[in-house]
Amino acid sequence: MTAVWSGIPALYTRRARITLKGASAMVGQLASPVLWILVVGPAMAKALGGFAPGIDYFTYVAVGQIAFLVPFTAMFAGTTVITDRLFGIIPELTVAPIPRFAYPLANALLVLTTALVQSGLMLVLATARGAHLSSSVTRAPWFVAGVTLLCLTLYGVAESLAHRIPRQEVYGPLIPAIGVTPFLLCGSVYPLHTLPGWIQSLSKVLPWTHAVALIRYGSMGGDPGLRAIWNRTSQPEMAVLSVLVLAVYAFGALALAVRNFTRTTTS
Amino acid sequence: MSSLTARSTLRSSDRAEADALAVSVENLTKVYPDGTEAVRGISFAVGEGEVFGLLGPNGAGKSTTLGMLTGTVRPSGGRVEVGGRLISPQAYEARRLMGVVFQTSTLDRQLSAVANLKLHARLWGMSKPDASQRIAELLSVVGLSERGDHPVATYSGGMSRRLEIARALLARPRLLILDEPTVGLDPIVREDLWSLIMRLHSDAGVAVIVSTHYLEEAESICDRVAIVDHGRLLALDTPRHLIDSLGGAVIDVRTDEPERIAGRPDVAAIALHAPVVRDHLVSVPIATKDVSLAALVSELQQLSSSVTVRHSTLNDVFIHLTATGRTFEGARS
Repeated sequence: MTAVWSGIPALYTRRARITLKGASAMVGQLASPVLWILVVGPAMAKALGGFAPGIDYFTYVAVGQIAFLVPFTAMFAGTTVITDRLFGIIPELTVAPIPRFAYPLANALLVLTTALVQSGLMLVLATARGAHLSSSVTRAPWFVAGVTLLCLTLYGVAESLAHRIPRQEVYGPLIPAIGVTPFLLCGSVYPLHTLPGWIQSLSKVLPWTHAVALIRYGSMGGDPGLRAIWNRTSQPEMAVLSVLVLAVYAFGALALAVRNFTRTTTS
Repeated sequence: MSSLTARSTLRSSDRAEADALAVSVENLTKVYPDGTEAVRGISFAVGEGEVFGLLGPNGAGKSTTLGMLTGTVRPSGGRVEVGGRLISPQAYEARRLMGVVFQTSTLDRQLSAVANLKLHARLWGMSKPDASQRIAELLSVVGLSERGDHPVATYSGGMSRRLEIARALLARPRLLILDEPTVGLDPIVREDLWSLIMRLHSDAGVAVIVSTHYLEEAESICDRVAIVDHGRLLALDTPRHLIDSLGGAVIDVRTDEPERIAGRPDVAAIALHAPVVRDHLVSVPIATKDVSLAALVSELQQLSSSVTVRHSTLNDVFIHLTATGRTFEGARS
């Protein structure tokens, strides 16, 4: 690996050190989804029952919480970029012999690591609480793809905003607005067909919706989410289409993040 | 007089270019998208091991010039070479030859000094054994060995600055760029810091480009200084030559009628350059403290609250060039 490329692992390690020093934030991010898995999900399953035969509602809701956790984690990470920009190391990085994209890319990889670990923990917790997960070597990659691409998409948005927004006080309210609100529209807690028609159309273009469908396809097996989006018969074919949609989002968001970083650090 | 002009600057540059160059800047310009011309055709060269001062008032174009040297500002025209490598297309190679200390702290305050230095070593492509050895060596030199594992957040301003200087020198750069490195520090810490910088400079033989507002510092440490204003290079030479060119001495007259004093024929007759008027102070550059001045000084004392004759300094040169650049233009014409 040339010195130019070694910048990415160096910056990844740096971000990991800083993230571990703020481990309480990571634990805090888990509070709401864990509450859903431990309390709200079982209560809703008991009160409302299921919406389709063969689908365990608690498992449905528990897995759907990952679509809450991952975007929240990704958006929250934007605050560390603002800290770097206002009080930290960014000028030093701009004169380092590394490409400009190393900083946003290393950050994104660390956030992705965090999101994958958190998602794994959620699955373990859901299983312990009685969720009926069903995956395989061939289906698990769809779960990983859903988490990965949703995380990279949201982190790209977060990093772009963090370079454009002047202060953390302005950025803070955007975390729930951008990171959490779409979670309520993506079929994570209730199926898409229960939403008003115009919201269903909007939902089908949201990355959350494609991600949650892939996450469930990879961890639960049969899921109505992919069919509700694509209305086709082949589940693998629909999964590929959703991966492609998410890949476009993720690539676009990361490219925008690199562009914003480059533009704000080079005049 | 001539050594105060950019024309003589080119002669100085030519001389420096005869030596091995750490930096070569040719006809550098920068026009920002809003039309601001921050830098207008600046040229200079810095030799290996030279300490070069970049001086100018706020908004003169110093930071933009340093930005173009470090690759954080794209030049609108001209070229910059560091260690013989063009900044634009070979940015990584050129950047590897530089260490930069910024005006404000750019340390990771949550991390320790060692962690900050290790990050720099990895980014600059140093091997692990070399980095470990060099980190221990530099922490010792800057007096931070005992605090190396403490978070930077617990450091004083002076300690942070020493750490940043150690970091900038870690990868054995050929060029050290210091952008206002002592701003905000108390005089004792400033003096200690300069003593450290000069010791490290003489040990490593690294070329230094320093931007500072503290002209007495520039006068004592710089081999040559460039004075810029409104994006133009007004003067470039050794501090001694610049001071001598202004004249060996200055008469300061504090008065309620500064314009009248400045316009007196007997004052104009002895002035080597046009007097500078600032508020109630008139500064008249003269050749030397001379007994023949006695009559004039005595007369001026009748018209003013105080008259002082003193040796000129780099500060006088700076003020004459930046405050009355047009006066010099007029004098040349």
